[in-house]
Amino acid sequence: MNSQVLSFGTSDLQAALPFIPGNTTNHSHSVGSRTIDTDPSEEEPEEEVEIFDDKKKKAVPPLNFALVENGIFRSGHPMPINFDFLASLRLKTIIYLGDKEDNTAYYEWIESQGINFKYFRMESVSEPFKANNPEALTNALHLILDSTNYPILIHSNKGKHRIGVLVGLMRKLLQGWALSGIFDEYDRYAAGKGEGDLEFIEIFQPVLEYEERCKPGFLRTY
Amino acid sequence: MTTASPADADVGTKRLITKPPQLRIIPPLNFCPVERFLYRSGQPAGLNHSFLAELNLKTILWLATEDPLDQFLTFAENNDINVYFVSLDDDEYDYSNNPWDGLSETAIRKALQVIANKESYPLLVCCGMGRHRTGTVIGCLRRLQGWNLASVSEEYRRFVGDKGGRIMVELLIEAFDVSSIKVDPAQAPEFLLR
Repeated sequence: MNSQVLSFGTSDLQAALPFIPGNTTNHSHSVGSRTIDTDPSEEEPEEEVEIFDDKKKKAVPPLNFALVENGIFRSGHPMPINFDFLASLRLKTIIYLGDKEDNTAYYEWIESQGINFKYFRMESVSEPFKANNPEALTNALHLILDSTNYPILIHSNKGKHRIGVLVGLMRKLLQGWALSGIFDEYDRYAAGKGEGDLEFIEIFQPVLEYEERCKPGFLRTY
Repeated sequence: MTTASPADADVGTKRLITKPPQLRIIPPLNFCPVERFLYRSGQPAGLNHSFLAELNLKTILWLATEDPLDQFLTFAENNDINVYFVSLDDDEYDYSNNPWDGLSETAIRKALQVIANKESYPLLVCCGMGRHRTGTVIGCLRRLQGWNLASVSEEYRRFVGDKGGRIMVELLIEAFDVSSIKVDPAQAPEFLLR
């Protein structure tokens, strides 16, 4: 069981959780009886800080993590604290719909894992001035239509809107879900906002191409 | 007779998708895949049957204290699906087996034993609304997988609707003794072994 459970270095946690006790590098405040007011450069990391009350290390999935179909996972943007969990999924491909390009720790991790990384720039929708990027979504759908890319993680930043649109399009075009079911699923992750996204899911109809022998098992074409 | 099999003919065949499938399928309330061939939902209605048929279910775990609808049972029977009722014959709640009570630990354990057996798959876990009872079992499963509790709660709350989550359900998940579940590596689905 859980032979690959997570192990954290304190550095990972400092990167992921700047507010945890013991991570005082960038703060000046009182912890217990000590007053800490130090220059970040002077502070050497102390001994391992005990974060969890039980000895068993935890598997920490990313924000809004869920299975979409066999071989396709969705989530928000992974943080270092999630890397070991993600490694246990043995991902072959990651699709990122977003616009953050300086998250180097993440890109280094992806490279170290030998994962095929597909980044499609798509800014967050801001109605009525900024709409979804049809090209990015069509590209992502084509990757999903090729099951040799599986297991895939699809993610945006929060795992709410952009990835919700991609999943919605997949439900409509590749699986033929009724729109009400699609909207319900979208809202479970988005929790409000996104009327424009629902409209987009309903209206958008790209021409997609797939290869018969590589098609995913969930594809319905009748 | 030609020797080409249908599979050979398909090699390299490109096809186009220009519109959604003609026949729409309707997922049951609160439907969501949990792990490979493991699904969760509320009680499926008749209009969800064509959706369910796509899943090729072998087993349904029914968690509510009420009996499911007749048409749901008929659907299961017609499709050779095994239905387990872990809450209906629960002797731990002889006197107060109310719909609003939580699952007993015995019922959770029974449910997890079905989930921990790959012979049960494809498997649907469901209750009336797919919120609290289903959420309890999936939450305990996540703990069995070693998830941190905040992520377990996040997932549970995703399915509870406007009225919000129940603290008793989250306590039940938090307090559940995961070590009481024996996972047999020879029987367990792959996701419980990673």
